[in-house]
Amino acid sequence: MITHHPADSLLLKHAAGAAHEAVSLIVATHLALCPACRRVVKLAEHAGGILLENLTPEPLTTGAWEHLAARLDEAEAAAPSIVARSGGTPTIPEPLRSYLGADGLDKIRWNFVLPGLAFRPLLPGPFSAKLVRSKPGSSIGLHTHKGEEFSVVLAGGYSDCSGQYRRGDFHTATPDLLHRPVADQGEDCIVLAVTEAPLAFRNPPIGLIASLIGY
Amino acid sequence: MSVTASTIKPAQRPLYGPAIVSGQPRLPVILWFVPIPDLHDMTSLLFAVGKSRDRAAFETLFLYFAPRVKAYLLRRGVAAMAAEDLAQEALLNVWNKAHLFDPKRGSAASWIFTVARNLHIDAVRRQKHPDFDPNDPALIPEQEPEADAGLQRMDDDERLRKALESLPPGERNILELSYFAEKPHSAIARELRLPLGTVKSRMRAAMRRIREGLLK
Repeated sequence: MITHHPADSLLLKHAAGAAHEAVSLIVATHLALCPACRRVVKLAEHAGGILLENLTPEPLTTGAWEHLAARLDEAEAAAPSIVARSGGTPTIPEPLRSYLGADGLDKIRWNFVLPGLAFRPLLPGPFSAKLVRSKPGSSIGLHTHKGEEFSVVLAGGYSDCSGQYRRGDFHTATPDLLHRPVADQGEDCIVLAVTEAPLAFRNPPIGLIASLIGY
Repeated sequence: MSVTASTIKPAQRPLYGPAIVSGQPRLPVILWFVPIPDLHDMTSLLFAVGKSRDRAAFETLFLYFAPRVKAYLLRRGVAAMAAEDLAQEALLNVWNKAHLFDPKRGSAASWIFTVARNLHIDAVRRQKHPDFDPNDPALIPEQEPEADAGLQRMDDDERLRKALESLPPGERNILELSYFAEKPHSAIARELRLPLGTVKSRMRAAMRRIREGLLK
């Protein structure tokens, strides 16, 4: 049961096409796991359709239709791509799965951060996206944020002063949040994290390591 | 074979005429005799294009939507020549992807809006618009099957139009800028000489009104 959702304004930005790619990626990954937020996005896209219709039409140049009509046969509808599925339900939903490459979660090359903690960069900044894997009980340590940070749990879970986060939960951390997320007991915790700016660690050695490896 | 409106759900009634500016009085009765394409027609036409590559249906869609897509691109800051080319490209995408359109999931206008939005992000911003895949086996499905989704949607459409029309001008303005302005909220706030917090709270308020009108 998902209990933490993105703010409406973030869902609206995604639907309106006003969000950065990494932000849309994390919102859409949550959407795959959250039917309730999908309904809100559908609504916002519906509103987009109404606003589009209400725009004052801009006349096209003469012959625009004939020009396009002549091109209708050149490009036939592409056949829907058939994705090979290796049995069972994948842990990582679309659209994130496509960003991991063909090998999927099992063959990811993880970059070591600290004992029990590894990450894999997916998209460079200004809003950067990465996967973070934490062994049960491990933590990156106490930190705050220089900008907004969004996380979606894909496997396992973690807890901090603001609550417990499990598969599908969406966590928005604002610059004023000082927290120490700790991976829950049980399976490895895998999180997609999108950050506007690097984290600000309270422990200087960890901060140094993080900045050196580009965490 | 051409698929017409009769093969899917029959129209209940015309929902609206041409692009009506909000707040404007309803069109005089006489105008309703002019064959104005309504939402349901458009949705049926798009369905026909996807089902049977119906060129006549597509021509009607093109004449109605291409000038609006061009207006959308101009609002997003695309230069006039490029907007014309991109509007054509967007409608070509509509033609090529129409078989993926599912009238149960939304109206033609909302679907064409997403096609134009994605093309703009791809061609102008050189980014992608990642989105979930409704056929993904990892997707968590809706709990209850949507009964009579088509009729429900027609009803929603009317209520959503009303909700949008009844937004206070300040909220409506911010909402429109979210869709059409090619700039972050901080820049919108500067331009309107409003604190960023006000812009964000108006956006939240607009979304809340829309949700309250529909998701009760």
